[in-house]
Amino acid sequence: MNGPMVAFACLAGLTLYSAWRVATAPQVTHAALFLAATFAGVAGLFFLLQADFLAAVQLLLYAGAVMTVVIFAIMLSEMREVESDARGWRSLLLSPRLGIVPLVGGVGLAAILLSAYHRAAPSWPLSPLPAAPDSTRFIAHALFHAYALPFEVASVLLLAAMIGAIILTRTEGGAKG
Amino acid sequence: MLAWAPLVPALPLAAYVLHLIFGRRAGERTALFGIVALALSTLLSLAILVQVAHGAAIDRSVPWLRIGGLQVRMGFAVGPLEAVMLAMVSFISCFIEVYSMGYMHGDRRYNRFFSNVTLFVAAMLTAVIANNLLLFFAAWEVMGLCSYLLIGHWFEDPANCRAATKAFMVTRIGDVGLLLGIWWAFSLTHTFSFAALPGALGAMHLPAATLDAIALLIFLGAVGKSAQVPLQIWLPDAMAGPTPISALIHAATMVAAGVFLVARTYGIFLLAPAALHWVGIVGGISAFIPATIACVQTDIKKVLAYSTISQLGYMMLAMGVGAFEAGIFHLLTHAFFKALLFLAAGSVIHAAGTQNMHEMGGLWRKLRTTGATFVVGTLALAAIPPFSGFWSKDAILRAAWASPDRALYWLGTIAAGLTAYYMTRAVVLTFFGRPRDAHVQEHAHESPAVMLVPLVVLSVPAALLGWVVDRPLRQLLTPHAPAAAAAGVYGFLPLLLSLAGVAVGLALYLGPLARREALLRSPLVRPVYGLCKRLWFFDDLGAVVMYAVGLGPSYVIGAFDRYVVDGVVNGIGWLAMAFGRLWRKLSTGNVQAYMLTMVVALAIGLVALQAMGG
Amino acid sequence: MIAAQGIPLVAFLAVAAVLFCIGLFAALRRANAIMVLMGIELMLNAVNINLVAFSRYSAPADAARGQAFALFVLAVAAAEAAVGLALVIIVSRRRNTIEVDKIDTLRG
Repeated sequence: MNGPMVAFACLAGLTLYSAWRVATAPQVTHAALFLAATFAGVAGLFFLLQADFLAAVQLLLYAGAVMTVVIFAIMLSEMREVESDARGWRSLLLSPRLGIVPLVGGVGLAAILLSAYHRAAPSWPLSPLPAAPDSTRFIAHALFHAYALPFEVASVLLLAAMIGAIILTRTEGGAKG
Repeated sequence: MLAWAPLVPALPLAAYVLHLIFGRRAGERTALFGIVALALSTLLSLAILVQVAHGAAIDRSVPWLRIGGLQVRMGFAVGPLEAVMLAMVSFISCFIEVYSMGYMHGDRRYNRFFSNVTLFVAAMLTAVIANNLLLFFAAWEVMGLCSYLLIGHWFEDPANCRAATKAFMVTRIGDVGLLLGIWWAFSLTHTFSFAALPGALGAMHLPAATLDAIALLIFLGAVGKSAQVPLQIWLPDAMAGPTPISALIHAATMVAAGVFLVARTYGIFLLAPAALHWVGIVGGISAFIPATIACVQTDIKKVLAYSTISQLGYMMLAMGVGAFEAGIFHLLTHAFFKALLFLAAGSVIHAAGTQNMHEMGGLWRKLRTTGATFVVGTLALAAIPPFSGFWSKDAILRAAWASPDRALYWLGTIAAGLTAYYMTRAVVLTFFGRPRDAHVQEHAHESPAVMLVPLVVLSVPAALLGWVVDRPLRQLLTPHAPAAAAAGVYGFLPLLLSLAGVAVGLALYLGPLARREALLRSPLVRPVYGLCKRLWFFDDLGAVVMYAVGLGPSYVIGAFDRYVVDGVVNGIGWLAMAFGRLWRKLSTGNVQAYMLTMVVALAIGLVALQAMGG
Repeated sequence: MIAAQGIPLVAFLAVAAVLFCIGLFAALRRANAIMVLMGIELMLNAVNINLVAFSRYSAPADAARGQAFALFVLAVAAAEAAVGLALVIIVSRRRNTIEVDKIDTLRG
């Protein structure tokens, strides 16, 4: 058990535990906080993979911006305390469509994926290759050369999403903005 | 002057354009466009006629179309025949338009009427002046369209629409024949030219059957347009149009075009003697049968309509027996006196407010001018000398006697007697005897001057034209023909029968009604009367043919369409609906259900990938 | 600097797979539309882990491709979150609920 291994185990544990709480927390606000923790754990994993730039963006964008939006949405939809897990264990087991099915679906898909990985794992690398010393410069080069066009398209997409969100949430009549 | 001949049709055409542009604004003054143009055309064509009479002729054409090695030329030609036709058509049309000013006064589609008439005349003049079959056919079709529009002028009444459609469709049968004939001749000779076609066809040494077929196809067009048996059924119905239109169609334009077509392509017919004989036979039958039908009609316009078919039959008969110039002569005289008769009949209808002769009677006292002109027209049509009809009919029947097929002579001669009889009947029923309908009598009044002047003007040529132009016309059209053979006593038989017809008509219809009713009850007359009253079953025959040839197959096709094609189409639709009903159960509107579906599909895909890869 | 020396690729992939399935589970079972969106965000994060991991364990020429792709996923996810949450807000205003079971106007 070396250092990186320990770090990986901690981060993976944090990520998965938080994610599980997101899925199961009875209160939406709690779930939102656990979501932020999950994002932080994923950022840590990125850091471990020496993708420092992505890790930073992950923290800024997800743990920062997206989380803010989610919290705002929870507050604006005025459902903060209303959402409790209305179904409970009883309906979880009995409801034909939503009761046991999500669990079976999630576990089943995980089993399929993991068994596939298990079979393929021996041929996969056991250790990462040496990373580029400066991953930010590295990504910038890729974005502005090979991926210039997708980059621009993504910017248009973000603009469209922004305008769309503004128009959608505007109060009708426009008086209250 | 001859080079200006295209102006004759061009002037009315220009007037038509003026009608279209300014007609609505001009109100009833719009009529002047057409009248002035036609008056100028008349003057011009008379000048041309004078020049042609002195031996001038013209045939000019320009390259029009080049397809591969084929060159199609377009142009005009004026010879004796065309010059005579031009003068006749423009003269009569001009006066018909003048008359229409009075007759159509206050009509709600006044401008439409005059613009269509003007276009109609322009098309006829174009057909006359064309030097090739292509231009001729185009003008011919425009005439068909105009006749449709004008017969259906009062289209508020569905019966008028049906009459217009009938005229259009029946003549269309002939047009198909004509078109086939034109293309056949063109495919053989590569020319449309009237002047070149007979020579080109003659030089090819074609089998007689081919030449006969081409000639008969062209003749089919003439049969349709000139309302010859068995395609005559449209013409009596065409009376649905305003009366000036009847005069125009029956005298100057539409029906004359058919005869003119035969005359213009006479060279082709001369190459095909069998076809020419058939022209005579159709003409003879068409002269006889409608004459019998006219004897039992009660509608004054219907009498005139059947007499038109009969007289056209004479013209075709003349063509068939080789008396080309006699046919044109009769076309000419007939145009004048038939236009006169129709216009006079229009004046009577205008005055009496009915077309049924049994409701008229005794109108002479009220309508002296109309009555006098109508009598002049009647005498001309009944071929009583010295009125014009006598000379032309006499020439035709003399030629028929000289021809090998004397049956044609007998048909024509008997028809001449019948013609005199039914026209006398019409005159007596309309103008003489006691008034039979007090309301009509009271309502009757003489027509305005604008209608009477054309009547008087037209009655002059109707009376005198035959005597005046008999010899000059023959010299102009066939300078080298031998004089007609003397027919002896048979040359006078038609005249005798005509006089007898007049006498019988007077005796029967001036006499008491009881005598006519007794005659009708006699076993000899009854079946004949029934046959004539039933139009010799031609309309029924037409209906049967229509059902057998047209509607029968269409029912079969309709059933196929309804049950097989629609069945397949509806079946596919029903199948789609059934699937839709099934699939919509899956569309729950719940996003999580959709997500689950995607996951299941993803799982299946992954397992399948594993199974294949493994 | 901590590097991932000695950690096999499959470890990251397994974590990503489990994270993905948890996100799916959340998206499937939660009644609240906001929670469904959160589940989707989890799934997108799992995808990003995969992309970055592969980029680090394959040839340097391909390394940038994975990270650039991850960036685009981030951008799309941000757009999705913005629009999705805006829709949730408008639905809550119009229909007074954001329970996905009750938003079924498109039912056939």
